[in-house]
Amino acid sequence: MALDYRKCAEEIFSYLGGKENIVSAAHCATRLRLVIADNSKINKKALEEVEGVKGMFESNGQLQLIIGTGTVNKVYDEFLAVTGLTAASKADVKAAAAARAPLWKRILKVPGDVFVPILPAIVAAGLMMGLVEALGKAIPGFADTDWYGFLDMVSATAFAFLPVLVAISTARVFGGNIFLGAVVGLAMIHSSLLNAWNVGSTEAINSFFNVTDGVIPSWKLLCFTVKRVGYQGHVIPVILAVALMCVIEKWLHKHVPEMIDLFVTPLVTVLVTTFITFTVIGPVFSVFENWVLAGAQVLITVGYGIGSAVMGAIYPLTVVMGLHHMYNVIEAGMLSGDIGRNIWMPIASAANFAQFGACLAVAIRAHNAKTKAVALPSSLSASLGITEPAIFGVNFRFMKPFVCGMIGGAAGAWFGAITGIGATTYGVTGIPGLLAIDNVPVYVIMLAISAGVAFVLTWFVWKEEQPQTDTLNPESGKKDIANSTDINSTPGTSAADPKERSLFSPLKGNVIPGEEIPDETFASGVLGGGVGIEPAEGFVIAPFDGEISSVAETKHAIGITGPGEMEVLIHVGIDTVKMDGDGFEVFVAEGDKVKKGQKLMAFDIAKIKKAGYSSTTAVLLTNSDDFDDFRIIKTGSADYGEKLYTVEP
Amino acid sequence: MKTFDYVIKDEVGIHARPAGILVKEAKKYASTIRVVKDGKAAAATKLMALMGLGVKCGDTVQIQVEGADEDGAFEGIKAFFEANL
Repeated sequence: MALDYRKCAEEIFSYLGGKENIVSAAHCATRLRLVIADNSKINKKALEEVEGVKGMFESNGQLQLIIGTGTVNKVYDEFLAVTGLTAASKADVKAAAAARAPLWKRILKVPGDVFVPILPAIVAAGLMMGLVEALGKAIPGFADTDWYGFLDMVSATAFAFLPVLVAISTARVFGGNIFLGAVVGLAMIHSSLLNAWNVGSTEAINSFFNVTDGVIPSWKLLCFTVKRVGYQGHVIPVILAVALMCVIEKWLHKHVPEMIDLFVTPLVTVLVTTFITFTVIGPVFSVFENWVLAGAQVLITVGYGIGSAVMGAIYPLTVVMGLHHMYNVIEAGMLSGDIGRNIWMPIASAANFAQFGACLAVAIRAHNAKTKAVALPSSLSASLGITEPAIFGVNFRFMKPFVCGMIGGAAGAWFGAITGIGATTYGVTGIPGLLAIDNVPVYVIMLAISAGVAFVLTWFVWKEEQPQTDTLNPESGKKDIANSTDINSTPGTSAADPKERSLFSPLKGNVIPGEEIPDETFASGVLGGGVGIEPAEGFVIAPFDGEISSVAETKHAIGITGPGEMEVLIHVGIDTVKMDGDGFEVFVAEGDKVKKGQKLMAFDIAKIKKAGYSSTTAVLLTNSDDFDDFRIIKTGSADYGEKLYTVEP
Repeated sequence: MKTFDYVIKDEVGIHARPAGILVKEAKKYASTIRVVKDGKAAAATKLMALMGLGVKCGDTVQIQVEGADEDGAFEGIKAFFEANL
């Protein structure tokens, strides 16, 4: 019989000594985590007896009640309703970590949170794309080769479909379904919409829509007019759309009866989200874009290079907003108009190159290997004119380098305007811009000023924060609880961590969640979180490089300590201690250093079954409490060495 | 510091399950609780260390309790051993 979540929550609450005694509440994949003001006021005995509570213990100043996957979130929701506490879980967990940070800071944090997990997809691609395009311009004829076409396609893919990546990541950050997020992102760049990069091209419009007047057709939906243009190159509208989607999705999950939830919720979520996106969010942005465009054109005519300097400063902001693809229109207009030269390009170049300078300073200055690993390729990519990785992955995230870059951009743009340089084409900035500029030496000086100012300022202004101050702060229980990020929705803030802390399957077989191991002790999580494996073969291999910390006398269990002090217990079978070693053979001894994949143990599945025991093997992270982010990646059929779970310290 | 000696009666010794509940019990106290066997000590809050002692049925272990709440912890842990191990 299903658990009565409400009743369970009410009973738990009744034994906690009143609402004043509860400092905060959060939950992870299996546990309700509470911070209690006065532990003596709670009735521990009674709490353990509550139906639905599988176990209870105290750790790190938290009272943790084991409730189980899929159930804990529902009990938690009821618990919030019963107690009137506010949520401290899922997306809010991160916000709660920065609980005292003002709203604007939390909002500014969102693009960074969204972009960090995407970085592996875009940093190298950005660099590659810049190189390929630069070579295409530098080597005559290269742009017509098959290799150019292929390389250009592959490296540009992540950028051409960036809204999809952004949408998926945003859905994770806001705790929505990532596949629905992907659908919303895909809808925004659907192939029946004109590519946003082509709005300035009459030719493209005519051929795409099969019209002759160069006007983009619209859809009439109720009282709204939707221009049939996609959101290529956009970031902010996508984040807004998917954030909205998550709100809608959560609301529907709560209010739609479970029986029709699977059908109704996704359908309504996607329909409503895309409708609002195309009718409200999109047009608002479109109006905004036109203002920026008109404003920019007026701005750069302000004398003495002042207008250009201002534009150079705010340019990266418009990149953040995803408005920069509009500038092709300005540049094309300049080339075909009275000026006959593209004087916009030096401004954009100065702004982009300044972001390169700032990012490079971070790359050199940073001690954190992770930051370094991201900042260096990002800065190179920025020097070639692809600034998204540098801006979103580094500068904007740390904010100060971004502002330093704005100042550098202003200085460079001012110099460019005063000297009156211009380009003969459009669409290139940074180093490849050398091929398009009419005065190379002056252009080089301008780039040097931009990057130099940004670099020096960043060097002195930016100080590396202790790694992840936003998620780690062990001094107080309250913050600590906020760190107990939910396994299902954590937006992996360190996707690029080269030091992998993962467990790779030591057995071959069917992986089940730890809670489903047919043994109360293992399932309750008392021995730590993890998985069970129903073995297909009778071998155990080392799940990572590590050291054997214990071998049971009866040869059926091995303890192994691995990267990041992960302490893992591999316990073959249930109650197999009673077999007294019969059917088990261990190849290692306590204290042995082992390599991932090394054979540790052999066992006889048939013998275990014959003896009347389950061969389900517990693979548990016994100190899972010590990690804020313990994530099970895989269940179901697994081969040796498949990644099963990871932790982040 | 308070100590007591105990002869393990549980048939599997301090293995996974008993070790797990011992860790759970030991975490309730502020005091440091150690289990010593043949001169080798393990913190009672560390599952791996406990299992590494390889304590079997009939072995004698010494339990050491030290810290702010050692009187209460001593009584509690002693009662726990008698009831479970």
